[in-house]
Amino acid sequence: MDILIQQVLNGLSIASVITLIAVGVTLIFGLTGIINFAHGEFLMVGSIVTWIAVQQGIPFLPAMLIAILVVAVMGFALERGLFQFTLTRPTNGFIVSLGLIIVLQHVVILFFGPNQKSIPRPLSGVWDVSGVRIASVRVMVILVTIAVVAMTFVMITRSRYGRALRAAVEDRDTAALMGIPVRRYITGVFVLGSALAGLGGALLIALFPVTPFTGGTMVMKGFAVALMGGLGNLTGAVVAGLILGIVEGFSAGYGFSEWTDAYSFGLMILVLLIKPNGLFGGTSGPKMA
Amino acid sequence: MNAILEIRGLRKQFGGVTALSGVDLSIDEGEILGVVGPNGSGKTTLFNVVTGVYKPTAGAVTWHGRDITGLVAHEVSGAGIAHTFQQAMAFPGLPVFENVQIACEHARKSARPYPWTTPDALLDFVGLSELAHERAGILPFGSLRLLGIALALATRPSLILLDEPAAGLNDRETQTLVGLVKQFPQHGISVCVIDHDMKLMQMLCRRLVVLDFGSKIADGLIHDVLNDPKVLEVYLGGVL
Amino acid sequence: MKASHTMKNRASPFASLLPALLVIGVLVLVPALGPSNRTLSLAISAGINIVALYGLAVLFGQTGILSMGHAALVGVGAYVAAILARDAGIGFWVALPLGSLLAAVAAAIVGVPSLRVSGHHFVIMTFAFGQLLAIVLTNGGDFTGAATGLDLQLPVTWFGRDAGELVPYYFIVVAFVAISAIASWAIINSSYGRTLRAIRENEKLAASLGINVGRHKIGAFVVSGLFAGVSGVLLAYFFRHISPNQFSSFPSIYLALMVMIGGARLLLGPIAGGILVSFLPEMLNLDPVESRILYGVCLIAVILLLPNGLIAGLLQGLQAIVKAAFGSRAETPAAGANNASGARR
Repeated sequence: MDILIQQVLNGLSIASVITLIAVGVTLIFGLTGIINFAHGEFLMVGSIVTWIAVQQGIPFLPAMLIAILVVAVMGFALERGLFQFTLTRPTNGFIVSLGLIIVLQHVVILFFGPNQKSIPRPLSGVWDVSGVRIASVRVMVILVTIAVVAMTFVMITRSRYGRALRAAVEDRDTAALMGIPVRRYITGVFVLGSALAGLGGALLIALFPVTPFTGGTMVMKGFAVALMGGLGNLTGAVVAGLILGIVEGFSAGYGFSEWTDAYSFGLMILVLLIKPNGLFGGTSGPKMA
Repeated sequence: MNAILEIRGLRKQFGGVTALSGVDLSIDEGEILGVVGPNGSGKTTLFNVVTGVYKPTAGAVTWHGRDITGLVAHEVSGAGIAHTFQQAMAFPGLPVFENVQIACEHARKSARPYPWTTPDALLDFVGLSELAHERAGILPFGSLRLLGIALALATRPSLILLDEPAAGLNDRETQTLVGLVKQFPQHGISVCVIDHDMKLMQMLCRRLVVLDFGSKIADGLIHDVLNDPKVLEVYLGGVL
Repeated sequence: MKASHTMKNRASPFASLLPALLVIGVLVLVPALGPSNRTLSLAISAGINIVALYGLAVLFGQTGILSMGHAALVGVGAYVAAILARDAGIGFWVALPLGSLLAAVAAAIVGVPSLRVSGHHFVIMTFAFGQLLAIVLTNGGDFTGAATGLDLQLPVTWFGRDAGELVPYYFIVVAFVAISAIASWAIINSSYGRTLRAIRENEKLAASLGINVGRHKIGAFVVSGLFAGVSGVLLAYFFRHISPNQFSSFPSIYLALMVMIGGARLLLGPIAGGILVSFLPEMLNLDPVESRILYGVCLIAVILLLPNGLIAGLLQGLQAIVKAAFGSRAETPAAGANNASGARR
């Protein structure tokens, strides 16, 4: 039982990172229609930047902020340089993102080698709560994720910016007539999603060693979660992330850890078979739950 | 008169919005029926329910005595009901000839004699033979509309639903279209035209149905309907 | 029927097959030029990819469906070959049809649920199935050889003689490239191919004309699986060792890249894409990491600048030059052949 709780906690901490990816892709897809499969590589770049910064002697927290900033700037450059030309052709945008996967992975390998990179745990404390050993770093990852996702949620649903954004999603032309700078909003959302990936990358390398190929697996799980919840649906992404975390934790607890990677895909395929639009209903293009 | 298509109590709701609230409608063999109504009156929804795009919330569609409620698009076509689209009327990347060829290759088996069984005959009928080897995507709008009609005819329908067939056409093109559509009944093809263009309706139809807010508010000979006070109210200062 | 239309429509299909046959004819002559073993190996692996690319071209080029898990179907063919050889002593020539068939069955198993969802969801589903297969193979224990994979335990024979050497195997692969090209040509110019293009161009209209869109999409997926299976058996018997990571996500992206660089709608596209992507790093003297960066950049550039692929782009450029030079409506194959005309723009 104790080990089980520990495993579920482990599962939830990984699922936190995956949820950050899922929220990023769901946000970007829901509000701009761009499917960015290279989102996992954005995350990996976030990890690598954190690793470089920590190697330079910078403490974890500022290193994390640097990673967020670098990935956000990268997102800005790529949206302006590439994705903005694919807005009317979502499939082309998707293919461009596949090209980016290869480029980003191998540029990182070119400069930093293919081997795995790790940093010392930013929080090394382990709490012993009546026999259950809880690593503080995992709790930190979960708490940071909850805080950031909650902030994103409030920003999209409650703020004036969020309302204007959703108006732009409903009808781009009308929103433009109302004086909403639709183009700039699309860029803004892409940058926000990228920043979340940068954060996810920093949190991930705090938990595990990272290789240039980590992004590929992570983004698949992120998309699996986003699709399970309903692509474009923020609430759905969070709930599905939670479900995946618990399932992965339990399976590791019961000794099926070699199959862990299969669950996200298996669950996604199962969910989509029963509910093609995801658990909470998704959108087929820019629209927000 | 002999009704071939009968719609009974058709309802369609999208979430809390009622697009159709119990519409009854019948189409008689060999007639050209007009369905008009302002934007948002439920014309297009009616159309989409019959052609299998949406499943109705309640009600039934009967076709030659057979219940066809909830059939999907290709089954509706196979039953002999064709329709044209307002937008995206053709396969833009393919040559005009191939567009019609595809439609002919999937035509339903029908024992009825039919005047247009080959792509050439169809292109000849709608007057697009000259453009047979052009890509459909580069055709002017009026020619695209005619191509859309040719595609629908290729399925060998006995009923053809036209969704705003004259939208975007100039007067001469509209005349050409009216000339073609008027020939359908003599080949055993009934017609239902959905539009808000009263001039077009007067050229084409004898009977007219008026929809407003998802309900039928008038149904009768076009002359009577156009003098109905309820209809005048709906169209006050409008198209009439 | 009027003679004028039918004439044109019957004459053009054969003309579109000629360039492909010509190129394959040149490929048959390659061993006579005394190429190095390295060149010949590269050519063989390019040819193996081209067979799969022809299937992908039917799916993506004709039907407009993008599969990002296609390498997994190639993997099914490869593992079928290896397992049949190990457990049943069944060799190359019997493995070919069986591997092809089982890959097609796998395609149906993936296709039926995946095609319930549309567009982007479908692409992601195919990707997920591809990953799932790699995980299953890795966890398959002795049956699949786990992460290390399997060795091929039978030689390739040809009329009782060993055909596993580079030159004979090269001819076998070129033969399958030719068969794939002709099969693909036959599909493109058949009523079936036209149906698939109709779905690509306008699904709603296709359905309104009586086409069962869902069934034909799954059909196209199954057809592409047949090609992938053949490619997998060829691959297994060429490398003589297979492992799960050969069939995971990167090889799938790589296949999509090749078909897009060559042009998915042109009959010559898969050959051009397969050869170009295999030989470009060699010609530019790049190491594997640099060449992959180049692939990625190429993919992005092709999509943004030449959405019909390199060959169609070149032909269009040529056409523009001819037009400018002669000022007339000169018609090049790119504009004439119906499979090339639909610009994805």
